[in-house]
Amino acid sequence: MSFHPLMPYGSEGFQKSERTLMARGEPFAFTAERAAKLEDICSKYPPERRKSAVLAALYLVQEQQQYITASAMRHVAEFLRITPAEVEDVATYYVMFFKAPVGKYVLQVCRTLSCALAGAERVTETLSEKLGIGIGETDPSGMFTLLEFECLGACDRAPVVMVNNEHWHEKARPETCAKLVDDLRQRGLSALSGCHLKVEQ
Amino acid sequence: METVTLTIDGRQVTVEKGKTVLQGAIEHGIKVPYYCYHPGLEIDGSCRVCLVKIEKMPKLQTSCSTLVAEGMVVSTEAPDVVEARASVLEFLLINHPLDCPVCDKGGECPLQDFAYSFGPNESRMEFPRRVFDGEGVKADVDFGPTLMLNRNRCILCTRCVRFMKEVDGDAQINIVDRGYGSEIATFQDEGVHSLISGNLMDVCPVGAITTKDYRFKSRPWDNPEAIDTICTFCERGCNTTAWLRAKPEWAKGALLVRTTPRLNPDVNGYWMCDIGRFDYHWIEGDDRLHRPLVKMEAGLQQPADWREATAKAADRITAAGTGSLRFLISAHASLEELFLIGRLGSALGTPEDGVAISWRAREKPQPADTKFKVPPIDAPNVNGARDMGFPVKASSDGRPDISAFRQQVEQGRVKALFVFDPGPPGSIGDVSWVSQARASGKLALLIVQGALITDLARAADIVLPGASSFEKDATYVNYQGRVQAASRALPAPGDAQEDWQIFVNLGLALGITLGYTDSAHVRADVAAAMSSNAAYAGLADLAFARPVTAQHWLQASNPSERWKWDVMFQDLPPVKFAGRPDPSSIPTVIPLTERD
Repeated sequence: MSFHPLMPYGSEGFQKSERTLMARGEPFAFTAERAAKLEDICSKYPPERRKSAVLAALYLVQEQQQYITASAMRHVAEFLRITPAEVEDVATYYVMFFKAPVGKYVLQVCRTLSCALAGAERVTETLSEKLGIGIGETDPSGMFTLLEFECLGACDRAPVVMVNNEHWHEKARPETCAKLVDDLRQRGLSALSGCHLKVEQ
Repeated sequence: METVTLTIDGRQVTVEKGKTVLQGAIEHGIKVPYYCYHPGLEIDGSCRVCLVKIEKMPKLQTSCSTLVAEGMVVSTEAPDVVEARASVLEFLLINHPLDCPVCDKGGECPLQDFAYSFGPNESRMEFPRRVFDGEGVKADVDFGPTLMLNRNRCILCTRCVRFMKEVDGDAQINIVDRGYGSEIATFQDEGVHSLISGNLMDVCPVGAITTKDYRFKSRPWDNPEAIDTICTFCERGCNTTAWLRAKPEWAKGALLVRTTPRLNPDVNGYWMCDIGRFDYHWIEGDDRLHRPLVKMEAGLQQPADWREATAKAADRITAAGTGSLRFLISAHASLEELFLIGRLGSALGTPEDGVAISWRAREKPQPADTKFKVPPIDAPNVNGARDMGFPVKASSDGRPDISAFRQQVEQGRVKALFVFDPGPPGSIGDVSWVSQARASGKLALLIVQGALITDLARAADIVLPGASSFEKDATYVNYQGRVQAASRALPAPGDAQEDWQIFVNLGLALGITLGYTDSAHVRADVAAAMSSNAAYAGLADLAFARPVTAQHWLQASNPSERWKWDVMFQDLPPVKFAGRPDPSSIPTVIPLTERD
């Protein structure tokens, strides 16, 4: 509300910060199915704590369009009856939320101590060479994004690569990384070793 | 009231149950620094600077989030407290730029004060400071229509975040990139859009949030006069302080540099709205009336002196017939002015329906659950006029209903009209029909008394320059029915007079002796006339603030910090932690040794 004559806003003199903003993106709305799913998640919290579902909502956004955009945050805010600023607060904190477009497979290599000692850096380097992209980049085919990640809690099977925030590849070796990429291209997620706990079950 | 007695620094203090140790210490004038705590906001405990030692507790506690308990023994000056506090301040200052000389908060900054009083003498930080958007004032970026944000100076106390969430009701500010890169931001850098955004400058304990209006205009020590008054721009009547700048008479620019809220828990708490805070420029603006104006035969308004103008006004009123004078009064008229108009009217024989009270009501968009609602009525004294027996008619949406009076004027049944409008531009409501009636000749005589040269004043035969609410001692009754005093901070510009004076002189010219030489005398008579109304009991003894010199800038603009100046920085030596934190006080860790 600009009621003061000496206070222009949004005009040419408006001085924006250098903060990197998330892209506005296409207009966003949850599909009916996901909206129903999120409503179900919301019902697990007391009505006044509806905003507790914000993490779940952002994961659903990512499920629908791979990464978070400003329009999506606005939609989530409306859905949870909070302000977009509160959604942005959460979205910018968690590294699992992608702030820019990513490939079909997001390879997140753990770089914390156990994995680093077991050669995680070599794994990252090999993947980077094979894909021809640096860390944080997406390859031209739009298939792969390479990221480094902090401890994934699977130190006994180091080094670990997490794909798309939920799939596991344990005991990654630099020698087999090239093959892993090719297998992922051909066979999809079944090329991954999976979590040994689940496999053993 | 259930109380708890505890010991702070060897002193027995009694505090209301449910309060925190910090609140107890503040109440009893014991020095504990704080940033994230603000009495008008919820407790956060994020700045860690209010650490105290409490016996039987294993570690130092943040006093802002520890409730008082019976028999608690608190120390704010134990060596380990002093050291821990200095360490916290050292951390807070790691990234804080040393640009106090160009910072608007300099001189009334809690970070400056506490760093001086409690901080370490030097920083051990060897790395460059974290910088957003450049050094110094280059880092100032827009933070909405009223504010600027300098994130380099921010210490992340989150008072602004909590203010928007709790008081404004629309959480527009958040912290993004939490972690080392934490910064205060609005969604997509859209800025803060709120009717009470100016309070963010007050709650900010550093110079991170400043107002565009006050930016670079003055330093606190350049404002030698601060006058406690009230805001008259709406019917809430927030308690405020008007700050006057020191300048030679010939220097350019206004005297009044800002208004800040003043604590009154019953009226406005710690807050005020942006209209009251920023829309004061008309007071020393170009549209003020400096001299009486009299319309000549040719229809041109010419400046005149007071004697000429009042004599002319009296002549014209007498010619029209004194009993035919009608009054249209803005609800910005104070109790004193209303009283004098009432006396003039009864002496002239003005009938009951010959007076109308007008004001402007407008919708002020605010979040539904805001804790600080700005009332729609832009006038301070609607209730006062009602109490004094004036015909105050309001429609359901708060607008004045003066259709009957308007009809009289438009049908040409009013020969002479006196309009009194001492408020800000447009605050009298729609009066274009008056100028139209005068232009079409249906109204033969129009006298306007007011502060500004408005369209209405341009249409008038005689214009009498009055004073704004910053230029006179006057009393108003707010929406709660509370009688409050607005104090004189400035002289009225040019030949303009205080309005009670104009009424007295006009009365004399008309042969009516009102017999007042001071607004206090008028007030005494108002008090006598209203003695049956309990709300007016203290009217005659109301205290009007005078400019506080010498100590004035020791009052911080932030009402919640103001107490500090009374107890903390008055000839008291700082509680200094001299030297560097003792390495032996670091918790011992198991040394890494090689095994054979």
